[in-house]
Amino acid sequence: MNTLISSYRKVELFFGNLKFAVIIILLFAVSLGYGTFMESYHGTEYANRLIYKSFWFMGIQFGMFLSILFATLIRLPPKKHLYGFYVIHSGLIILFIGSFITYQSGVDGTITLTPNLPARNIQVNEDELRIQFPSKGKEVTVDLPFTAFKKDLNYEYEGITLKTFLPFSENKQDWIPIKIEDGTQSSSRYRIFTPNFGEFVTLSLHPQSDFSNTQQMGPLNVHYMPASLAECFAQNTPDGLIVWNAETSGCLAPLKKDLKKKKGISGQEMIEVEFSGQKVQFLPGMSPLPLDDKMNLSENSPFRIFSKKLFEKSPHLFLFGKHAAFFDKEKNEWGSQKFEIGEEVSLPWMGFKIRLLEHRTDAYPTMLPRYVKPVQENGQVISGDIKAVEVSIGDQTFWVKSGEPIAFNQNGERITFELGKKALLLPYELVLDQFKMDTDPGTNNPASYESFVTLFKGNDGSTKHHVFMNNPLKHQNFTFYQASYFQTNEGPFGSVLSVNFDPGRFWKYLGSIFLVLGSIWHFVLRKKTVVKPGETRV
Amino acid sequence: MFKILFVFLISMTSAFGQMDFCNKDLETFPVQAGGREKPLYVFANETIRFMTGSEKVGEYSATEAFCKLSLKAFGMPVELPIMVKVDHVDVRKVLGMQEDQTSIPVKELESKADLITSELSQLKENNSFKKELTRVESRLNTYRAIINARAWSVPVKTENKIEFITIGEFLTESRVASAKDKGSNPVSFLFAESKADYLALKGDQYLLELKYYKWNLFNWALISTLLSIILFVAMKNKIPGTVFILLTIGLQITAITLRVMISGRAPITNMYETVMFSGFGGLVISCVIYFMRKEIMFILAGLACNLLGLMMMKFANGMLDEGISPLVPVLRDNFWLSTHVSTIILSYAALALSWLLANALLIKGRFSTVSSAEYRYQVDLIYTCIKVGVVLLAAGVILGGVWADYSWGRFWGWDPKETWSLIVLLIYMAILHGKYTSWIPPKRFVLMVAGAFMSVMMAWFGVNYILASGLHSYGFSEGGAIFLGTFFLIQTLILIIASIKTSKEA
Repeated sequence: MNTLISSYRKVELFFGNLKFAVIIILLFAVSLGYGTFMESYHGTEYANRLIYKSFWFMGIQFGMFLSILFATLIRLPPKKHLYGFYVIHSGLIILFIGSFITYQSGVDGTITLTPNLPARNIQVNEDELRIQFPSKGKEVTVDLPFTAFKKDLNYEYEGITLKTFLPFSENKQDWIPIKIEDGTQSSSRYRIFTPNFGEFVTLSLHPQSDFSNTQQMGPLNVHYMPASLAECFAQNTPDGLIVWNAETSGCLAPLKKDLKKKKGISGQEMIEVEFSGQKVQFLPGMSPLPLDDKMNLSENSPFRIFSKKLFEKSPHLFLFGKHAAFFDKEKNEWGSQKFEIGEEVSLPWMGFKIRLLEHRTDAYPTMLPRYVKPVQENGQVISGDIKAVEVSIGDQTFWVKSGEPIAFNQNGERITFELGKKALLLPYELVLDQFKMDTDPGTNNPASYESFVTLFKGNDGSTKHHVFMNNPLKHQNFTFYQASYFQTNEGPFGSVLSVNFDPGRFWKYLGSIFLVLGSIWHFVLRKKTVVKPGETRV
Repeated sequence: MFKILFVFLISMTSAFGQMDFCNKDLETFPVQAGGREKPLYVFANETIRFMTGSEKVGEYSATEAFCKLSLKAFGMPVELPIMVKVDHVDVRKVLGMQEDQTSIPVKELESKADLITSELSQLKENNSFKKELTRVESRLNTYRAIINARAWSVPVKTENKIEFITIGEFLTESRVASAKDKGSNPVSFLFAESKADYLALKGDQYLLELKYYKWNLFNWALISTLLSIILFVAMKNKIPGTVFILLTIGLQITAITLRVMISGRAPITNMYETVMFSGFGGLVISCVIYFMRKEIMFILAGLACNLLGLMMMKFANGMLDEGISPLVPVLRDNFWLSTHVSTIILSYAALALSWLLANALLIKGRFSTVSSAEYRYQVDLIYTCIKVGVVLLAAGVILGGVWADYSWGRFWGWDPKETWSLIVLLIYMAILHGKYTSWIPPKRFVLMVAGAFMSVMMAWFGVNYILASGLHSYGFSEGGAIFLGTFFLIQTLILIIASIKTSKEA
């Protein structure tokens, strides 16, 4: 017993010591200061994951709790001059308990309301991966760790392995080798620029690439095509027609003598071209597809036709890997230029130039998430806000990114993956009737945000509510606050309410009152002052 | 259309002089700008000062210049020497100015508008250069808005309601023509009629703002504070100094009350107002503490605190914007916000008293000898201020939680402004706890109190000017980073100089 008491005394002396208090307070303050800078540079979520909701930070707070608790216990039984001190410290202990209750069983989330659509999903700030097997009617959810860094998951379920979780990532371009290379599925990277402005453009013909074969840059349209078409584009023919065979990638820019023009059905001009010994008929004014024997459009034929005339009015740039073709309005003709990697070509639009940076036929470009520290600027996270999980099934590996559900076929069975926020279901429904935003007179600055909502309580009927700043809706322990808004594709505004359930609220308020009253008692009411030299206390 | 109107105006009156309605009478004319209704005098002064840095254009007052510039839209040949302010040296270089040239003629700037746009589109990083370039662009846009008669809106009565339309829409040919027979100057008549309609329907409450601006009560309070300090230091008799303290407090209460009446809210919603409130708060708290402990040092510290606040209001225009503008939604009608911020600001004022006393003691100890009894006494004075500050701060931080709970539904969200006020509390708590250990003897205590105020400055200004993120983003503006950096540097130097002596003694 005595040893127990003496070891308790040791614990009490250690944690109740003033020096321990000073150290733990400073440690707490320094972590907080670090947290605010991290938040400023990397955003709120990063700071939460790195500091405020991390295990070590909880540890420091627990240290504070122990210090406060034992500092009080060590000063028992009560002494009259310490009454204020006891009240302050009990207030703090109650505050800590209240915060712990909130942490354990509180809910802090958001509900997104689209006009006139019932909603009952509260999204909380924790991530999960949902794996669905629609044919089996089964769903598995995996909680993702609340970490600031890349983390190995090593989770396995029925042949599906979750390998890594990236809480913050950016899509970075990567090259994936092509297993059977035939030279036709090429990809290239260019820089298109003027003296004041420039953009990197990656284009690919590979069907699995995240990059497409066209891109729009302001008024300029860029098209990426197989290299074999380059020579046909370079030729200036009277009709400006090009015929090509998608299978062989061969092309022909027919001259007058190669064409036979006829009147087709319904008055359309029909032409007949002889292409590598084969006669093919088209209605170029109607479709790029050729006609079959019965004069129907044939989708299965590898032949296509198109007219360059369509691309003469506005700026169109055709790229073929190491060739570029375009219509020069001043010269009124099509021009073509060959360039090697690192070389640049002048384009006929407002000083535009293009430089070839990379050209490959052995690999295709795609975007893979890579871990980055997020970057915040002017209160907005501008990079690193993609979450991603690396999944492997059999010999295939792929990434599931936040906001981009993926479907995967395994032996004919469909599996879908979705990375998103955890959701709680409310036992009732909310419908947004209208979202209203008032502005300050004569300006576009918002003066108020208001949501008019209807609350459907099943058999208990429904009630109308008006939610605006500082006027939340309270229902069954949950409180709904006006938080944000968004514009729907259809036009009207949707509203975002923050949803809160805080079972620790009473204790936090009680602790606060103790703390403030105790401080007044201890610091203000207790008069113990040093007398001015040369004076005596009255 | 506007030009035709001018020809029409000219044809109506023989002498151009008669057309000159841009006179002093317009100062009291009600306009709507930036979401508020105010006298033209105030709006013109704010706008001309924003553009040029001065409240006069050549020989003309801001109101006259503002009105004359608006006439350009109607084709009147007005040429005023508008010089647009450019503060950043690199921006001056880009605009082809000399490094020491502080402003550029607006015509020259107009010719460089494309250059500014292309320069801005290339800048990715939001640094001080980009910010100033954006400001220069917006000064130019303000000028364009004025000369196109879009900058200000005037009241018109429609069905017993006042609506505001731009001056360009107001001075239409038909409206001027209809007023042709109503006196020698139809435009003056229209303005007078518009103002009379406004007064009849909405009253003359808006004219308070004119008084507030013209009386310059804070300048008088600054002079009165200075006089009070001089009198207290120079004279044995405390009565003259006390008279000036009372005068200062009276002036500031009047000014703050006017501001509250004009804006219709507690005077603590932006940096300018917190500085305004804290200086005054410091003086009042020092008087309260004086009644608890009869010690003139408190009063002097309070006066010094007020002086610093008033000087910042007067001279730190780049950092503190004195304009009254509407609030963002979350700050409206919020009792808890007002109590939370005013408590925190009062606590900062009390801590500022401790900081002034601590620095005074450090400097005194460095250059003369202070007896240990005197030192102990002075430390106790500092301690008294900290006690008041800490109680107010603890209450303020908690009220911040109450406000957050009330507005957002969470008591604590690790928002940087909240977090920094907690850091300040923790730092002072660490010092107060350490005071009872052997780690912080009296001399170190004074050093630490002087240094700890840097955390207050970080929480007060640093979060807005350096961290600039989070829920409190409504208060963020620029120009304060240099101020804060200078403050930290000077304070650190004082600490170093004072501690060299301390360590020698030890």
